[in-house]
Amino acid sequence: MFTNLEKCPRNLLVCEKSSFLNEKSRHDIHVAKHFFNYKVSILIPECGIIPSFLSSVVNGFSKYYLVRDLPLHKLLEDEFLEKVVKTGSLYALSYKTRIDQDNTFAILPTGQVILSVDKDTYEELGLEGKASQYNHRQPMRYVVTIDMTDKSLAPGGKRYKRVMWALKEKVQLTSDFLLARYSIGGDEEGLLQSCLSQYSCKELRPSVSTQTLRDLLCPSLDPADLRRDARSHDPQQFLEWLGTVTMDMSSNNEATSFVSTYCCPEPQSSMSQALVYTVTGLLLPEDIHSLLKELRRYFDEPRFTSWLSMTVHGFADSPISWGSTEHGFHKGGENFYTFVIFKNQDYWLHMATGANDGCPP
Amino acid sequence: MGEHASYERLVFKNASVYHYMKIDLILESEDKRLNAAHFKQLIISALRDLYGEIGAAFPFDVLKFEEDTLTAVLRVYNSGLVKLWSALTLLGSYHSEPCAVRVTQVSPFLLALSGNSRELELD
Repeated sequence: MFTNLEKCPRNLLVCEKSSFLNEKSRHDIHVAKHFFNYKVSILIPECGIIPSFLSSVVNGFSKYYLVRDLPLHKLLEDEFLEKVVKTGSLYALSYKTRIDQDNTFAILPTGQVILSVDKDTYEELGLEGKASQYNHRQPMRYVVTIDMTDKSLAPGGKRYKRVMWALKEKVQLTSDFLLARYSIGGDEEGLLQSCLSQYSCKELRPSVSTQTLRDLLCPSLDPADLRRDARSHDPQQFLEWLGTVTMDMSSNNEATSFVSTYCCPEPQSSMSQALVYTVTGLLLPEDIHSLLKELRRYFDEPRFTSWLSMTVHGFADSPISWGSTEHGFHKGGENFYTFVIFKNQDYWLHMATGANDGCPP
Repeated sequence: MGEHASYERLVFKNASVYHYMKIDLILESEDKRLNAAHFKQLIISALRDLYGEIGAAFPFDVLKFEEDTLTAVLRVYNSGLVKLWSALTLLGSYHSEPCAVRVTQVSPFLLALSGNSRELELD
């Protein structure tokens, strides 16, 4: 009777199993290519306080800036390009713009500028782009990609002038931006601020929170058994369990309970405590990579747990997810990945995306 | 060093059997108290009003309910998502007092509900 009501948009989950010690392991590429990260949450079983070497890595995470009412063409001006964009990895993402209704902009560390704009803006702008992959019958959204490292776009050239003219005079695209720049030495502190001194610019640090959970059930994990066909729980069930833990939900309900029948997947074991450590802000892949490195070191000392996990959530309204694959919102805009790191340096990597997204790499 | 784990890659399409919803209940007066069981009963009656006894006969779970903020996380089989969502949208009264449900986030992955970048407030 209601069969057409039973359909759901597609979702993808890619699971990889490998070892950090494998030469061909691609974990670092996956981290580096997920450009705009909103939140990292780490779960360490049988741990009460965060080890100091982990908190010091997090304290060293790059600062980011919130710049108000910044015209996009400012970021593409000759001087800014030379000083900031081309000399290091700049991450810029428009703030509080919704990819399913507003114009959204991003600058990737590769020097690509991505504008995801509605039809009217696109037509007024007069820059070459292509229709979004996630349109309905009529294209209502277009994506313009400008590669600032391209030689034909060198400042002063014809194409560069055309881009600047479109962004300055045709339609002045303005937005609040989140900006961050990764630099190894940190000698260029304030470079972004000095370049954008005419605008209201707020310096921000990633915010951190810690939560200790007590007496919980946990599925028993075997690093060799990603597929879980031998036993009963599969990657989805594990991720669901991880979700219940990070959101502090009860995982020990009776099958006959009226409110919830959720139960931790079998085979399970009990955990006396666990630590959930979350970092929120515009988090750079380089910083996440160094955090991952430190997390691997967690097992250098004897521990009560044989695994720990790190989940990284991407911005739901970013125009891209991994690499330059187009990203849309549809129902939730989810794009995240989870590392399960084992004592023996094996890992599982789960990468998930929703309906308006390409397959994770 | 011993043997490293061999590389393995699995791709699951639409493998999640559930969808998860994060919702807010908005009541007109703030002095009404309700617990998770009342809340679930409220949703079940909304489903019955819209789809009838048979149409509303599908299971869903209230994974979490916060009594002070009236926010909840629901889990429902994919086949029930549209029905549940529509019933929540049309839910208009609790004990003959106007109320509404605001759907904050929906995802096939529960983990995604723990990191909603639209909640990032920097002011």
